[in-house]
Amino acid sequence: MPPLKNLEVEFPIIDANFQLFCASNGIFSVEDFLVHDIYALTVLADREANSEVLKQGIAQVHSIVDKLHQPWFNGLELLEDVNQNKYFLSTGCEGIDKLLGGGLRQGQLTEIVGPSSSGKTQVCLCTALHVADKNLGAVMYLDTCNSFSPKRIADMISQYSNDFIKEGKERRLNRIMRSIICRSVFDIFELLGVLNELASASEHKVKNLGTRLCLLIIDSISFLVTPILGGKDSQGRMLMSSCGTLLKKLANEHNISVLVTNHMVRGEGGILKPALGESWKSIPHVQLQLSCDRVRNICQATVLKHTFMASGVPAEFAIHE
Amino acid sequence: MEISCLPISASHRAKLLSAGYTTLSSLSSVSPPQLSHLNVALQEAVDILKVSSESCRVEVQDGAVEFCKGAQTAWDMLSEEQALRHISTGSGDLDSILGGGIHCKEVTEIGGVPGIGKTQLGIQLAINVQIPYDFGGLGGKAIYIDTEGSFMAERAYQIAEASILDTFDNFGCQLKEIPEKLKAESFLANIFYFRICSYTEQIALINYLDQFLVEHKDVKIVIIDSVTFHFRQDFDDLALRTRVLGGMSQKLMNLAKKFSLSVVLMNQVTTKFTEGSFHLTLALGDSWSHSCTNRVILYWNGNDRYAYLDKSPYLRPASVHFSVTGKGIRDATSQCKRVRMM
Repeated sequence: MPPLKNLEVEFPIIDANFQLFCASNGIFSVEDFLVHDIYALTVLADREANSEVLKQGIAQVHSIVDKLHQPWFNGLELLEDVNQNKYFLSTGCEGIDKLLGGGLRQGQLTEIVGPSSSGKTQVCLCTALHVADKNLGAVMYLDTCNSFSPKRIADMISQYSNDFIKEGKERRLNRIMRSIICRSVFDIFELLGVLNELASASEHKVKNLGTRLCLLIIDSISFLVTPILGGKDSQGRMLMSSCGTLLKKLANEHNISVLVTNHMVRGEGGILKPALGESWKSIPHVQLQLSCDRVRNICQATVLKHTFMASGVPAEFAIHE
Repeated sequence: MEISCLPISASHRAKLLSAGYTTLSSLSSVSPPQLSHLNVALQEAVDILKVSSESCRVEVQDGAVEFCKGAQTAWDMLSEEQALRHISTGSGDLDSILGGGIHCKEVTEIGGVPGIGKTQLGIQLAINVQIPYDFGGLGGKAIYIDTEGSFMAERAYQIAEASILDTFDNFGCQLKEIPEKLKAESFLANIFYFRICSYTEQIALINYLDQFLVEHKDVKIVIIDSVTFHFRQDFDDLALRTRVLGGMSQKLMNLAKKFSLSVVLMNQVTTKFTEGSFHLTLALGDSWSHSCTNRVILYWNGNDRYAYLDKSPYLRPASVHFSVTGKGIRDATSQCKRVRMM
C-alpha cells in the first residue's frame, strides 16, 4: 500500500491538512494507519479545529482498506460453490481417475512426481487431449523442457474414438488441437508474468463470455525452480512460494484445474523423494507419484497426498502407441 | 501483481517493501526522484520503474483465442513440426528409432561408456547437418564445443568425404565436377569449434552463444562433447553443481527453441549403488536426467554396439545395433566387430 500522499489524486479529502495530522501521529502510509488504534485517532481528531473533515478522511481511508480484502463465505456457500462450479476433469485413464476420486478437480493444484521417463509428460498430454475433447474449455500447456509434442497428441486422438459426437476425424483433430494452447517458458520470472497475464485474461473473459480456460498444465515446474533454489539467500524459495500461491489463486477464482509435474531426488539413505523440498510439499492439494517398470513396461501411480481420498493405494497403467 | 515477482535485486526489493510499495499498481504513479529518496541511485530507480511498467501492461484482447503473448495452438505447432527436417545420424536403423533422426528444437542427451562412439556420433552429426537441402539434409552449420579435446580434424575430413560420396550414391547422380560447397574442406569450414578448459569457460560460452547465434543464423546444431567432464572434478558443493547445471540446461533449452536448432549433449557414466548392487548410470545426478528432451544410451552387447532410446516425448523405447566404420556411423553389418586390444 502506497504512502498517503499518493491517494490524494484519487481522493481529494486526503489533503495536505489530513496528511499533516496523520504525520503528527506517526502515520505515513496506509499500513501505518492499520496498525494504529482508530478510536484513539478519532478522539485526537475531535480536539483539532477541522475535526469533521479529519473524521471524514479517516472514514475514507477505512473504506479503501475494506475493499482490499476477500469477501467472507460460510460453509454452505462453499459447498454450493463446489457442487455447482468445481467439476472433475477426467484424465483419460480410468485407473488414475479412480485414484483421484473422479479426476482433476477444478480449483485444486495437482502435482505429478516421478523419476525420469516414468510417464509424466504422457499423462499431461493425455489429460490435455481428453479435456479438449469434451469441449469444457481451453487448455493451456506451459512447456519448460520442449517436450510438448503435437504429433503425439494427434496420434493419441486417432486411437481414442468419441462415440457421443459424430464428426469426421479431420474435424475432430482440428477442434481438439485448436483448444490446446502451448507456450514455452524458460525462466521463473517469465512464468510469474504469464500467470499474471492469464489471471487478467480470465477476468476479462468472464465479462465477455468467451472460451474460458479450464485446465492449466505446467511441465515441469521443478525445471524452472531448481536453478534458483538453495544458496545463501532465500529468494528462490520466496519465488517458488509466490508461484504456488498464484497458481492456487488462479485455480480457485476462475475454476481452473492446475496440473504440474515435478521430478524426484535422492534423499537420505538413497530413498527417492519429490524435489523442491519441504516448503513446496505443502503447496499442492493432491500429489500423485508415478514409477515405471521397464521390464514389464507397466507404470504405476500412487497417491501421496489427497484432500479426501485415501493415500498409498496404487493403480497400474500402460503407455501404448 | 506483487513486487516480489519482479526481477530486481533483493536489496532494492527490501527498500521498496519497507517504504510501503507492495504491488505494481502502487509503483505506477511514482517518479524516479521519489524512489531515489529511499537510498536508491537515480539510474537504478529508472531501471526499476521500467521493469515494473513492462510487467504491468495488461493485454485486453477481444474474442481472441490467445490467453497470453507468445502462445500457439497445438494445430499450428503440428503443421510447423511436420515441416521440420531431422538430422540423419548416418545409420538408417538408428534414424528409425529416433523417428527420422535428431530433432530440431529439442535437447538430446547421448550417454555411454568410454570408447563406445559418442565423439564419433558427434562428428558424424556435425557433418550430416551440412548436407544440402536438395539432398534431404538441412544445409546448416554446426557448433562443436569440445571439453575433452577428443575432436580430430583428420577424422572429420574422412567422415565428410564418405558422407558426401554416400549422399551422391543415394540420390543416384554422378556429377562430373563437384561444386565447391560439396567438398570436404568446405564442410570442415562450416564447423565452429570451441575448446573449453574449465567449467567457468563452459558457462561463459553458453551465455555467449545467444549473441553468436544471432550473428550466425544458419547454425542448426550445437554439440557439447562432453557436458560432464569439467563438472565431475573440483566441485565440492554438489548442491551448487545442481543449480549451475540446471541454469545451463535452461539456457540450452531456450536456445534450441528460439533458434530452431538441435542441441546434442554427450554424457559420461558413473557407478551407483542401489538395491544391494552396483550398476552403471549416467553421470551428473538425478536432477540432470530431467533436463533433456530425448535420451539415447549407447552400450556394448558382447562385441556389438547398441543404442537404446531411453526417453522421448512420443517414441517408444527401442534398441538397435549400429557400428562405427571408417566412413563414420553406419548400420551394423556382420563384419564390423570391436577389435579387442590384447
